[in-house]
Amino acid sequence: MTKDRKGTVPDLRTEQSGVVESGLSPTKNNGKEFEPKIVGFLCNWCSYAGADKAGTAQDTYPPNVNVVKVMCSGRVDPQFVMKAFEKGADGVIILACHPGDCHYKEGNYRAVQRHRMLVRLLGQFGIEKDRCRFDYVSAGEGDKFVTVIKDMVETVRGLGPLAAIKN
Amino acid sequence: MKIGVYFCNCGTNIADKVDSEKVKNEVLKNPENEMHFKTIDFMCSEDGKESLEKDLVANKIDRVVVSACSPRDHENTFMRVLSKAGINPYLMQMVNTREQVAWVTEDKEKATAKTALYISAASKRVALHDPLEKKEIDICPAVLVIGAGPAGLKTALSIAESGRKVIIVEKTPVIGGMPVRFEELFPNMECGPCMLEPILGDLLHGEYAENIELLTLSEVIDVVGSYGNFIAKIRQQPRYVDIHKCIGCAECIEPCPVSAKNVFNYGLSERKAVSFPFAGALPNAPFIDNNICLRSKGEECSLCKSACPVDDAFNFDDKENIIERNIGAIVVAIGSELYDCSNIPNLGYGKLTDIYTGNEFERIMSSNGPTDGEIRTSSGSQPESVAIIHCVGSLDKNHKEYCSGVCCQYAFKFNHIIEKKLPGTKILHLYKELSIPGKEEFTLYHHARENHDATFIRYNDIKDINVKEKDGKKSVAFKDSTGKEGTVPVDMVILCPAVIPVEESGKLGAILEATQDKFGFFEELHGRLDSSQSKIKGVYLAGTCQSPMDIQKTMSQGMAVAGYILSGLVAGRKLEIKPITAVIDSERCSGCRLCISVCPYKAIAFDADKEVSVVTDVLCQGCGTCVAACPCSAIKGNHFTNEEIIAEIEGVLA
Repeated sequence: MTKDRKGTVPDLRTEQSGVVESGLSPTKNNGKEFEPKIVGFLCNWCSYAGADKAGTAQDTYPPNVNVVKVMCSGRVDPQFVMKAFEKGADGVIILACHPGDCHYKEGNYRAVQRHRMLVRLLGQFGIEKDRCRFDYVSAGEGDKFVTVIKDMVETVRGLGPLAAIKN
Repeated sequence: MKIGVYFCNCGTNIADKVDSEKVKNEVLKNPENEMHFKTIDFMCSEDGKESLEKDLVANKIDRVVVSACSPRDHENTFMRVLSKAGINPYLMQMVNTREQVAWVTEDKEKATAKTALYISAASKRVALHDPLEKKEIDICPAVLVIGAGPAGLKTALSIAESGRKVIIVEKTPVIGGMPVRFEELFPNMECGPCMLEPILGDLLHGEYAENIELLTLSEVIDVVGSYGNFIAKIRQQPRYVDIHKCIGCAECIEPCPVSAKNVFNYGLSERKAVSFPFAGALPNAPFIDNNICLRSKGEECSLCKSACPVDDAFNFDDKENIIERNIGAIVVAIGSELYDCSNIPNLGYGKLTDIYTGNEFERIMSSNGPTDGEIRTSSGSQPESVAIIHCVGSLDKNHKEYCSGVCCQYAFKFNHIIEKKLPGTKILHLYKELSIPGKEEFTLYHHARENHDATFIRYNDIKDINVKEKDGKKSVAFKDSTGKEGTVPVDMVILCPAVIPVEESGKLGAILEATQDKFGFFEELHGRLDSSQSKIKGVYLAGTCQSPMDIQKTMSQGMAVAGYILSGLVAGRKLEIKPITAVIDSERCSGCRLCISVCPYKAIAFDADKEVSVVTDVLCQGCGTCVAACPCSAIKGNHFTNEEIIAEIEGVLA
């Protein structure tokens, strides 16, 4: 297992500010009224606890992300993400423990691998990669959770409603 | 199916942002099932719980949705209420309205709408929940301790004192590990064998000795099973001397006609084919080294037996034994060894005389060692100048990157003993870094610093040190950290090599399936929180097999392991298995074993007969990684099934 970890799994946090940036600035005028529907898969031990931390700090964020809790980000079956898009989600975000912090040792590495595979697959459906995002939020990072959620909501708002696979 | 939705206002915490009446209207609008909605002010209060319990019973509720705080706060609280009301506690789904809606959403309307959506999704999900039961399995409370050094002995004795059976497997004929070979220990110059004597005595003859089975000259060759129920196979080499009958008089040793280098003195002295590793070694019985004994070469020698005053203490028919033991937990306490200094050829180790490692010098200083404690050069004279080279292979990217943590202290101990035994001897300390943490450890350092005969020189790289010999005279040439070069004549050189894992670590690790870190030390579950648990449940780590450490830390780790075992593996109590595990449908399993490759806990085994994978409940932690990986959807993640999660996804997107 440890062998898999080395080299093959990128640490996506190398970008500025420790946040995996979407690389997309929201289109301000496009779809001002549009409220994106986003499904968030949060692991129980780090990210869900991070979301709770934001709650305890009463740090507000837009209500567009609906959380589905899983015990581990490694539980996020790619079919859940496909199902979410099929059922009308405009975006999906998967939040996991930081590398090395996974409560289940390495589920987050599986999650990041599956996410990389997923964005390629989604591309074939015409779904932009920024609609399916992966990031790390620890139990202590309530503020990062809020930043990531806000960024995700604005990114998807900028992309507009997802119509690609509706038909 | 009747679903009861219980909405907690949490005083004003939730009620300020989420209007329960509006939520109720929304939730009851187009229900798929018969719904019941009730608002409670403080559901986690005693009154609240009572009100919930009564309402569940009165309304004959089948499934429960609780909209309240985070499940991380009160999921267990409400699960217990369900149990009291006669409902399986897993037939509940919580909605985290307080932390993840009310406290974080500015707009009241939006907060109310989001809560209603979450409750509807939870209702869809909970309708699919299975009633789950905790499983219980019997355990074996006996413990296997591998290694009879300080760590293993501390753990073994503590567990034996609780009335448990402990099996100690030790590869050498002697117990006590390294400290019993050291005359004096840092930081307080305590006598090593004396310090351990009470523990060793208790272990062999104390009140709880009957709980301890000591197997010397033994090694673990196979382990099967899992936490609570392991079976270990142990191979014991013949000792030819019954340690219970032998009185330790040593009459047998003198008549023995053959001898060889004594490995317990690092080959610095000879020992007979029948011998004690060193004077005072415990158990107090000699052993026969089959490699040199004439009997092993087919000769009919029995001089030792003839000299023995006890009947049957010698047994020449002693054979290699394979012993099988049932245990519930395994403690790895196999210690460490020193880095091979011949990897750094410029230090002359192995080529020049009078160049010793720290362990060799410990034996030289010991009164039961090869020179009876006399510090002499190979020519028999007193050394006038000794160089102590610190950090040999430690903190060195070309050798071992880590600091071994104990070398500075024993180097200053050597300084102290040399000064005491041979006053006026010049001592040269060549070091890369000095590390002497702790509240007692500074004294030997100060002694060394205040010793007028001691010189301290810092170097940058071990390559900058050269131990040479010319015309029978040794010298140490060095370049210090400022680049200044120098040469000092020396009669003896003591090397402080890096502490490294013992050679057998890898083999034992493979048998136990316990991983090693990049240095080969046994890998801990968590570096700070759980350094005495391995990554395999039920396999614990104590002492320097996990990391270089001193005796104090070793003992603490040994006790930590005892604590884990005594609290987790209680005789008479069954091992409770939480029901949130993976379950493999053998009908659907294709036997591809992908699940086995992704399981972080080695909780999935392959049934070769049926050609299917099987989850070992006791090891499964319920992460669900295998469930997501299975290409046949043959694995069900209890309480997080595909159907349940998809129902929730559809619910929040409705």
